[in-house]
Order: sequence, then C-alpha cells, then structure tokens
Amino acid sequence: MEGYILPPETLTNEAIASRLKNEVNEQIRQGLIKKRNLVYLELNGCSGNIISLLNGQNPDFEYTLNSMVNLRYSNSLMAAEGEQAIEQLMEVLDEDYILAVEGAVALKNDGLYNVIGRWKGEPFTGLQAAQMLGEKASHILAVGACATHGGVSAAKPNPSESVGLQTVLPDRNIIKLTGCPVNPDWFLGTLAHILLYGEPETDNLNRPLMFYSTLIHDRCPRRPFFDRGIFAEKLGDKTCLFKLGCRGPVTRVDCPTRQWNGHVNWPVGASTPCIGCASFGFPDAMEPFVSYDTTRIVQDE
Amino acid sequence: MHNTPELLGLQMRHLIVLAQRDLYNFSEARNPYMNAERTLQRLRETLFSIQAVGEQLTRQHAVSQLSNQTPASVFLGHPAIPPITPTPPLQFYQQNLRDLTVEELATFDGKNGRPAYVAVNGVVYDVTNNRAWAAATHFALTAGKDHSGAFASCHAGQESILTTLPVAGRLV
Repeated sequence: MEGYILPPETLTNEAIASRLKNEVNEQIRQGLIKKRNLVYLELNGCSGNIISLLNGQNPDFEYTLNSMVNLRYSNSLMAAEGEQAIEQLMEVLDEDYILAVEGAVALKNDGLYNVIGRWKGEPFTGLQAAQMLGEKASHILAVGACATHGGVSAAKPNPSESVGLQTVLPDRNIIKLTGCPVNPDWFLGTLAHILLYGEPETDNLNRPLMFYSTLIHDRCPRRPFFDRGIFAEKLGDKTCLFKLGCRGPVTRVDCPTRQWNGHVNWPVGASTPCIGCASFGFPDAMEPFVSYDTTRIVQDE
Repeated sequence: MHNTPELLGLQMRHLIVLAQRDLYNFSEARNPYMNAERTLQRLRETLFSIQAVGEQLTRQHAVSQLSNQTPASVFLGHPAIPPITPTPPLQFYQQNLRDLTVEELATFDGKNGRPAYVAVNGVVYDVTNNRAWAAATHFALTAGKDHSGAFASCHAGQESILTTLPVAGRLV
C-alpha cells in the first residue's frame, strides 16, 4: 500500500459511528479483537433509552449489538425472567464485562423504590445492582439523562430520591452519554470505540467528544434566522425558535447533523424548540420548554 | 436621566472591548463567515459612541472644574473667555444607562415584550437577545434578578463573558 495516496475518509457524523461499528465487526470476524461481555442494566427510568436503541438500523440494533459483544444481561431484551435472569447477572460478576446503565439510582428506603428482580427470595434493588456491578466493570457507560445526572427520575420533587450513577460510584470513571433518550449511534459508537481503542476522548464532563463537542446552535440549519433576528412566534413556524425557549445555544450534541429515527429528522426539523435533553440539569434546568410570553416584541424603554 | 462618570466609564470600557473584538476579527480574518461590511459599520458606530461618551465625560469634568473655580473674572477689561463647550454628543449606539433598584430590576423579566436584564456584581446587563437566555431563562435562572452568586459559582474565572454583554445600568 505504500506510495498510494488514499482518498480521505468521510468525516460526517453518521460515517464516524458506522465506521467504528463496521471496523469492530471486521476485526472480530478476523479474530483480531475478542468480543467482550456487556451487561445492560435498566434501573429507575422509563426504558426510553433501550426503546431508542432498538430504533438503530442498517443493520438493526440487536444484530449490531450481538455481533460486537456478548449481551449477557438486559432487562428488556433477554429471554430469561425472574430469579433465573438475576442468576445470569450474578454469573457475569466473575468475568470481564462492560457495564451500561440506563435509568437513575433510587436511594429512598435503601433503594426499595426500584426493585429490578429477586435474588434468593429477597428483593434485588437497582442500588445494589449498580454498586455491585459498577465496582467490577472494566468500563462503565451511563446511558441517558437519568443515568448521567438523575434526569427526569430526579426531577423535582424527586419522591424516589433518585440520583445519577456517579453518586453511588464516586470513584469510578463513568463515560456519560447524556440525552433523553440517547441516539443509537452515540451508544453503539462509544461501545465500538471502547472495543477497538479503549475509552474515547471525553470533555471535562466525561462526554465523548466525537458526539458531544459542538453546540446544536452552531450547526442549526435555522442559524441564519437567528443571526438576522427573525424569530418564530409559535410552534411550527419555520424560523429561529430562540424566542420560544430553544436550548440549542446551550446544548452540546450533534442532533442537527446526525438526526433521529434512522437519520430522518430531529426536533428543530419538526419545528419544535430543542429542550436541551442532552444537557446536564435536564429537565429542571432546561425549563420552560416552550414559552409564548417572552421578549418577542421589544419595546423602546 | 443623568449619566454619572462611573456609568459612562463602564460604558466606555464596554465599547472599547467591542471595538477590540471587531478589530481582532478583522486582523485575523479567522471567521470566514464574518460579514466585513457589517463589522466595519459596527466598528464605525462604536468609535462614534466612544467619541460621544468621551465628550460627555470631558464636559462633566469641565462643569465640575468650573463649579470649583471662583466666579468668572474680568481680564484686562474683557470678560473672560467662556470655556469651550464640546459639540453635542452623537447619538450613535447610545444606551439608556440607569440606576436600578432590585424592585425595578424585577420588572425587566423578559415577559410580554419587556427586555430581559440581569445583575452581576452591581452591574445590570441586557440579555434580551443573548443566545444562552432563550425565553429569558438560563439553566433554571430567570431574568430580572441579581445573579452574582450563580455567576460566581458557575463561571468563576470567566469574567470575559460579561464583557460581551451590553451594559444596561447599575444596581443600587
């Protein structure tokens, strides 16, 4: 190959994630890297992240996941149930595994507000699972807003006393994939990077830079309207949604270029403001999501 | 509205920062999307404003000097030449600088078309069109309040953020 100048690799967001996934599959097929075990825990949340991940396509999520890793435990995807399922979870503890956690950790009443199964006749809480598995995992991924900082589960008034995963595992390095829910690419891309090269480069809040480095505002297709001060007055207007409360200017993630539902559309593309779901502090700190009573008509003082 | 020297100084500093930023953009030509004509126009207006504020300051200084002096005397039979009065200030880029109480500040909450103001360390800034203040709110903070504490805890060492905001007045 020496002496040849290869054409540049595509650097679009979609290309980066799919190249990582394809590279992993190819290297596993050739026996260059080994499949690792993956434990996907669903704690106190709405299961929105696993539903979003199932939306991954070409190839479909389940196939991609299974060809990259051995999925040893997943509340939603595994066939086993009841104590049998928890037994499978316990078996992994003695092996090497990557841990992905979705949902917050409920602390109230020693975690009894979130019971994920039964173990030896006793309720097995999310808190126990997070601590037990978090201590031994080789890498930890916090998937979605609830896992990264508490998210919707920890929103006021937080009756279950939910917290983010880092609070119960203060000494572990946790890769934080914010978003409510996460995009399949953010999760699969990060997982592929761990298999190929180890943990990806992250920002000061531990979010992978390859997905979370740019502000939504900076790549928004409606940015020219913002710069010229042309603002939408109601949802559905095709101009800048800033005055309605768009959080694109403070939210770092690649939604405008990656998009959702198989790269088809995204909130601003559907004429609704960004609600900042990929920002720390979501949802409480990102409210109001929409405001009609704001500085639209600037009167001279 | 009487602009105190302190407020004028504050405004002057802000204008100079604006001009410096535009000059920097020009000299480096880093931003390929920079609209050169518009930046030049803004620079021109900023310079006019600096001139205007400077003249206001000079006039106030002259007035204060005059009030300290003894009444105008007669010099060799002629009345003393009155001090040169500066030309009226140009109204480019002139802001309504004002002293606001906490209660007054609360009315600038960005609702119903009112501007959105916030105070940090005694200075009132206009965040009406600041991109991080969509719907006059910012990470659960609302406009019309003194956010010195929140600023110190979240943006310590990032005082440069404040220099990019238009100054609306002073919190008293």
